[in-house]
Amino acid sequence: MKYLMKKILQYYLKYIAKLVLAIHRPTIIAIAGSTNKIFVKDEISKTLKEEGISVRSNPKSFNTEIGLPLAILNLPSGYNSYKNWLPVIPKAILKIFQFNFPKFLVLELGVSDPGDMRYLLTIIKPKIVVITDITQRYLEGFDGMNELVNEYELLVKKADKNGLAILNYDNQRIRKMANISKIKVQFFGLTDGADWQAVKIEKGSTGQSVTVKHNNIASEHKINKFGQHHVNALLIGLAVKHYLTC
Amino acid sequence: MFNRTKNLRLSVIKQMELRASRYPDVVSLAQGIPGFDTPECIKRRVELALKRGVVSKYSLSPGLPELRELIELSLARENMFYDWQKEIIVTAGAIEGITAAILAITEPGDEIIIPSPTYTSYREVINLAGCMPVYVSLDENRGWAFDLDKFEKAITEKTKAIFYCNPNNPTGTIYAKEQLLGLAKLAEKHNLFIICDEVYKDFIFDAEGAKPPRFASVNRGGLAPFSLGEVPELRKKVIRVFSFSKPYAMTGWRIGYLHSDESVVREILKVHDSLVTCAPVISQYAAMGALEMGERDLKKFVKDFKEHRDFACSRLDKLSHIFSYAKPNSAYYVFPSFAKALDGEPRPDSWKFALELLDKAQVAVVPGVAFGPNGEGHIRINFGRSKEDVGRAFDRMEEYFDKWKN
Repeated sequence: MKYLMKKILQYYLKYIAKLVLAIHRPTIIAIAGSTNKIFVKDEISKTLKEEGISVRSNPKSFNTEIGLPLAILNLPSGYNSYKNWLPVIPKAILKIFQFNFPKFLVLELGVSDPGDMRYLLTIIKPKIVVITDITQRYLEGFDGMNELVNEYELLVKKADKNGLAILNYDNQRIRKMANISKIKVQFFGLTDGADWQAVKIEKGSTGQSVTVKHNNIASEHKINKFGQHHVNALLIGLAVKHYLTC
Repeated sequence: MFNRTKNLRLSVIKQMELRASRYPDVVSLAQGIPGFDTPECIKRRVELALKRGVVSKYSLSPGLPELRELIELSLARENMFYDWQKEIIVTAGAIEGITAAILAITEPGDEIIIPSPTYTSYREVINLAGCMPVYVSLDENRGWAFDLDKFEKAITEKTKAIFYCNPNNPTGTIYAKEQLLGLAKLAEKHNLFIICDEVYKDFIFDAEGAKPPRFASVNRGGLAPFSLGEVPELRKKVIRVFSFSKPYAMTGWRIGYLHSDESVVREILKVHDSLVTCAPVISQYAAMGALEMGERDLKKFVKDFKEHRDFACSRLDKLSHIFSYAKPNSAYYVFPSFAKALDGEPRPDSWKFALELLDKAQVAVVPGVAFGPNGEGHIRINFGRSKEDVGRAFDRMEEYFDKWKN
């Protein structure tokens, strides 16, 4: 019974989300990877907002077959409570008639089992795709790393033909995805050869100072957070901004 | 033989629970267990992890990456910025994190300053590390506030850290921001670590009466006490500890975390790895459920505990011939002093008082001396148990104390 209800809800939300996307036609930036999706999503949203671009991302990590439509529709989850789902269901319909729909949606795509990415790509057609990193996290659902990597490769293959793939140059498996990509690729990372390279990172008490090299031009940036994942998020944000504004 | 353990004692709280277990009809308001069960959303998250077969192996020693990522996000919402990869360790409850931290930063013979009254197990952990707890009394007349002069006077060449619980167990006091910053200045001046245990941070009942600087930020729709973990300049000095036990009714899961600068966490991690290898993986998935979906339940708990607090205080007011107390603004304890004698005898010590209460009224509470010398003359009452239990305990106390009215 619970399974049936979940399936009904899943497809109900899916088709309303598809209808909303068809009506409002936002540009979709899709972020996938084993780690760091939420920080990258926040950084891209912040960067676009600073440019005065109308953008929306869900503050939660809604990135599954039910979560993704909720993120598109900007609705909360009822999680495991029937009662909590009740107000969500009619609100979904009302989203079809929403005014001021944002021009950009920044969405996370979560992959924990084979076929997850294929399903999520039946809901959205992203213009910009980001692969943050691929690690052994979530590997338990797959028959090995190749099968997991295939999921992410599918995202690069299915992106809008005029789009952009932003890929992690420090990860060999992700770097190789450029070979199968039919769209423009920009690499980020710490390694020489990345289009957006962090060449110097200095940690202070209030955050990190990062020197970024792009097209042999260096720029200085400050982040009030700690850790290399925030440096990567910065690089990805810069790549998105450059693509959309230059 | 047993040199390391000869000065340790089984926590007084657990001693009381053990004694209480011998009374079949006892109502226990002793141990700090909330009266709720773990929320369903957390159980569902664990069921999913079990089904996926991901709980049977060790995690990385500092914890599951996805949990630490969630913890970093949760901290950022509270104005604290720490790198999940290098600055956060998931621990087997707060007490394991505290133990690992103390073992990492001290040498045998060092002194650690703790307020009195404060959580009873701190003393044992400090002793276990071969260090000396140095009590600094809180000022009951000022709502159990710090007296910074007393802290400074207690500092010696051997002092390694100041260690406090905020909001404080057993008094429910929220330390004011300016007091904490004063403590931080002392720590900087004397090159000390600050260990702050903030396991009750989510239970804030009243904004009224709280000076604005007392609250640093609005957190997930509720008020949050100021934390020294928010001050970037202190990140190499502050080790902050948190547990999922209290806010998410998960005391049995034994799961918490600590964070500090990577230079400190690197050392604590070595001890954590030696002690437990990693926190229980099944409980790490439960903690993920709590952070992902537990917000609604947490809000309900806070609302219910506030009602319990008001109920317990109203019942204490009826016993004003025995007890006087400061109304707690946090946690789920009230720490009344008993000013009058029992049975016409001189005022007993808190152990005797608690044992009498257990024996005569079959109500288990914790004697105040368990929380340090300044706790003498008090008992700790846990109002976080079910309202029925709290009510039954007060019914019995009223009946028992009724004869001492005159």
